[in-house]
Parts: sequence; structure tokens; C-alpha cells
Amino acid sequence: MSDVVLNNIGKTYPNGYHAIPSIDLTIEEGEFIVLVGPSGCGKSTLLRMVAGLETISQGDLMIKGAKVNDKEPADRDIAMVFQNYALYPHMTVYANMAYGLKNRGESKEVIAEKVTSVANMLGLEELLERKPKQLSGGQRQRVAMGRAMVRDPKVFLFDEPLSNLDAKLRVQMRVEIRQLQRKLGTTTLYVTHDQVEAMTLADRLVVLNKGKAEQIGSPMALYNKPATPFVAAFIGSPSMNLLPANLDEQGICLSDRLSLPLVHDHRGSIIWGIRPEHLEVVDEANADFALRIQAVESLGAETLIHGTVDLGVKQEPMVVRLAGPHWPEINSLLWLKAPLDHWHVFDAVTQQRL
Amino acid sequence: MNLWQGAVLMSVYFPHKKLPYLLVLPQLVITLIFFLWPAEQAFEQAFYQEDAFGLSREFVGFDNFVYLFNDPQYYKSIWVTLVFSFSVAFSGLAIALWLAVMADRVIRGKLTYQTLLVWPYAVAPALAGVLWWLLFDPSMGPIALWLQYFGVDWNHFLNGDQAMTLVVISATWKQISYNFLFFLAGLQAVPRSLIEAASIDGASPFKRFWTIVFPLLSPTTFFLLVINLVYAFFDTFGVIDATTQGGPGVSTATMVYKVFNDGFIGLDMGSSAAQSVVLMFLVGVMTVIQFRYIERKVEY
Repeated sequence: MSDVVLNNIGKTYPNGYHAIPSIDLTIEEGEFIVLVGPSGCGKSTLLRMVAGLETISQGDLMIKGAKVNDKEPADRDIAMVFQNYALYPHMTVYANMAYGLKNRGESKEVIAEKVTSVANMLGLEELLERKPKQLSGGQRQRVAMGRAMVRDPKVFLFDEPLSNLDAKLRVQMRVEIRQLQRKLGTTTLYVTHDQVEAMTLADRLVVLNKGKAEQIGSPMALYNKPATPFVAAFIGSPSMNLLPANLDEQGICLSDRLSLPLVHDHRGSIIWGIRPEHLEVVDEANADFALRIQAVESLGAETLIHGTVDLGVKQEPMVVRLAGPHWPEINSLLWLKAPLDHWHVFDAVTQQRL
Repeated sequence: MNLWQGAVLMSVYFPHKKLPYLLVLPQLVITLIFFLWPAEQAFEQAFYQEDAFGLSREFVGFDNFVYLFNDPQYYKSIWVTLVFSFSVAFSGLAIALWLAVMADRVIRGKLTYQTLLVWPYAVAPALAGVLWWLLFDPSMGPIALWLQYFGVDWNHFLNGDQAMTLVVISATWKQISYNFLFFLAGLQAVPRSLIEAASIDGASPFKRFWTIVFPLLSPTTFFLLVINLVYAFFDTFGVIDATTQGGPGVSTATMVYKVFNDGFIGLDMGSSAAQSVVLMFLVGVMTVIQFRYIERKVEY
């Protein structure tokens, strides 16, 4: 049974601004959905609409088969983890976690039992009597999750919960969140702008751009077959190389000098893309084009080489990602081959994958 | 005086440091002439008994204080001051908090609304007193007539409790604006996400206010409580003089009003000065409380 259904959901602000034109999304029970997109794409607004913190201008929001558009946040049986954690600063960790249960009129014994068991699960037993300001960032994050878990809600909502943590802790908490969600099996909606977080956490990803869902699918589906240049550029790091081109009888014509053979019915202007990790270094005879090296970033396990491809009329920037360390000279030429099965071709007008 | 001499001495050894002292000089002179000198005079006077015309005086030691603390009228004025101050502080805080909560919710015309609420603070104390005195005048004040219409026999010239109510209203009205500004700033500093978290946690708006917002406002509330008590204790002479002049009888004569009344109406300079010294001591205590606790802020 599908758990959360967004049916033609839209948001229009009183000043007439269409933050979200229309979104359809069906979330299965226990699924981990990540809403991802650049800042201002409407992902937080969408999450807050599901939470009931923003009104829904159009469409239906169903949770477990019941329409909840006009229900108060408290009556939707959801729990939310905020970006700044929103822990009540004047209450102890215990009181923070007990607050929601208390408001629902649970008995003291039941509250104590639930809080203790969640605290054990999250390793918070030692911290129950502390105030939030006596906790580290990671501990606060855990308390915020504990507060959400203790009520055993139907849906977890996460609003960029890791963005206030340092890089190392972020990776650790990312793994923990995923493990906890698997263990509890609670349907989860998670907002982030970080594509690594999105890729690693999601069962399915929703890539949002200007309030529209560009593509919905599993992380690998989005990586392998991005539906639009926007998704292509957003998913994967470093970004896919995208070059404007023309598709004609000879194939993909990047400029007068450079064209790549391809048999395709489509004619007209297109965007041609290839991921940095799919470019191969070959000798001059087998190469499709040459990269004039401008910068080399050595990360040990991999090397990112930034440069430009000379198209005659203009220089197009391109990134190549090679495994292991490499020390090519700046300004030298790197001969590259773009294997056909890794090409991504998009219609420049409709922005759709061909 | 020591401070002043010190300043002169230092300027001899460090000529380039003259400027700072020059800049604080006006403030120092004002403090000396209008605060320290009168305080010293009052302190001296408290140990003398002077005739009504100020022609002769006699050293009497602590007699003025002994007499004061054996005078039931003085205890009456302390009681009046306590009733008055706590009424003013409590109603001032409660009404201002209510207004601030309402103003925080207003979306359209917010600025106009807030500006109007701040205006009474600009009204001079005596004017505020006269204003309320007129509104409550038993023979022509609209509020008094309206009360009489509903069967309340309003006459603060005769009824001590009503007189107290009137001075409390007048004094509170002036202070509400000040409290309102602080409460509004305090409310706006409460993170929105806390309120949202509480509403997801199933707390009703009423419960949210009392369990989340109000505790988070406690530093502001405590600060305002001290400020309001100090105001009601020492800064309400004008309001009282313009409305009830301490009457009927002494039912609205606070300690400060009694200083004026005994000294300048009753011409008992010695007792008046002794009372001033008691008040100075109280101001000192309150200042200590203020610095001790407010600077450190209320813990939550």
C-alpha cells in the first residue's frame, strides 16, 4: 500500500509567486525518498507542505489513504527533524523527547519507557539530563532524531539535517540515518542540496528545479539515464561535461572542426554530454579530441584534470577524472576518447533526453 | 571630588590623555551638581533638625531615623509603595506581553500598529497623570461617568482604593510601551522552528506559548520586572502628583511622594532627608540586583 501520495500538489504564495506549479509523487511504505535540488528549488517548501507548516494551494496530500490537506501538523502523524535541530533550549534531553508524548496525554510510565528505549538505540542514555547547549553538534542531531522517533510516526521528514555538521560527522550520521531508517522501516522524506547525501541515502530521488520535478527515480537510474541536462549536471561529482552541438547526417557536430559520428533521426541543436569518469586517455591516432590541460587536482585515489577543448570558434571547458595519481604537465595536450555507450544526448529546445 | 583631582593629576603626567577627561567633563559636572552634591546634602541633612524657615539647625544624630522607623505613617507609605509598585510592574508586564503577542501576529500594517503602541512612552509623566485625571474625574471624566452608568460609584477623591487604582493605571499606561518593545523583540528572537517543532509535537497554540515561548522570554521578563519595579519605586512622582497628590489622606503617598510631601509641604527637612537616605539605600540594593542577575542573564 502506498503510504504518502502527492497528487498534483502546488504552492502559490499570496503575492502570486508560483513556488511549486505541480508535483505528483507516490511514496511506498518504508521507502526513503530524497528531495534534492539547488537552493530555492522549492524542496523545503514541499517538505513543509507535507508537514503542514505551509498551506497547500492545490492538489491532494494523502497519508495512509486519508486526505490531510487541512489537518494540523500534529494530526498528520509525522515527525520532523529540522536543519537547526529546533531542540527546546530550556528543557533537558529527556524533556525534549518526552514533550510530544506528553502533549498526546501518554502516561508517565509509557513516556519513560519509550524515551529510554529510543535513547538506548541512539546512545543517548548518558545525556538525558543535559540541556541542548551542553551537547555537541552530533549529539544534538541525535536528540533531534530521537525526538522524532519516540512518537513512532507514520512518516519521518528531514529538512537538511546534516548541513550544520562538519564533514566527517556528516558522513557518519548519514550512514546512521540510513541504518536506523532500514531498521525502523518508517517511510521517510528527506530534503538536501548535497547530491552525495542524496545518492547514498535514497531509495528514490526526486530532482527538483524551480519547483518542478525534473526526474524521479533510483540514484543509479538518474546517474545512468538522466532525463534532462539539469539532472545530468546535478547528479554526479564532478558534473557531467555538457557541450552544445548540432545533430545532422554526419552525427554530433560540435563545431566545423569536430564532429562525432552518430546515427540518429533527430535533427537540430542538441546538448551532448559525457561524464568525466567515462572519458578515456588514448594515443593521438584513436582520439576523438584533445584537451588542453589547465589545472590538475590530485586526490590520491583519483585525479581530476581540468582543461579546454579547442573547437575553433570557441574553447569549451571539460573535466576528466582518472583513477590513481597522474602528473600531466599544465598546457600540454591530453588525447581523449569518448566511448559511444556513455554518451548522453539531449534536445536543446525541449531539454529532454533523446 | 577624588575622581576630579585624579583626573587633573593624571593629565599632568600624561598630557596626551587630557582629551578623554575633557570629553567626560560635562557629564561629570552634571553628575556632581545634580546628583552627588544633593545626595551629600541630603545625607548631611538627615542628621540635623532644621526649623521651618531654614534659619537654624541642630545636630540630632540618628534621631530622624529613629523617629521615622517608629512612625506608623512611614510603614503605611512602605506598604503603599509595595502595593503600587507590584501592581504597576505586574499589570504593566502582563498587558505589554499580551499586546506584544498580538502585534507579533499582525501581518498587515504591522509598523503602524507598533508605532502607535510605542507613543505613550513619549508622553511626559505629568501629562500622562493629567490625562488620566481628566478621564477619571468624578464629575466630568468620560470613564468615571461610564463607570457610574454601570453602577460603580467612582470618586477617587474620597475612595483610597479607587485612587490607588487610578495611579496604578496612569503609571502602568506609560510603562507599557517600553515593556512592549522589549517583549516584541524577545518574541521575534524566539526561533520559528521551535514553534513549528512544538506544533508538530502536538502542542496547542496556548500550550506552545506557556511551555515554549514564555520560558524562552524569561530573561526579558526578569529584566523588565526589575526595570518596572525601579520605575514604580522612584520614577512615578510626576504621575502621582498630577493625579491624586498622594491622597485621599495618604492612601497613594508612596515613599518618594512622602519625601516631597514631608520636606516641601510639611517643611520637615530632617525627616525628609532621612527618608531620602533610606531611598538611596534601596536604589543601591536594586542596582546591585540588576547588575548581578541581569548581566549574567537568566539561565534556561
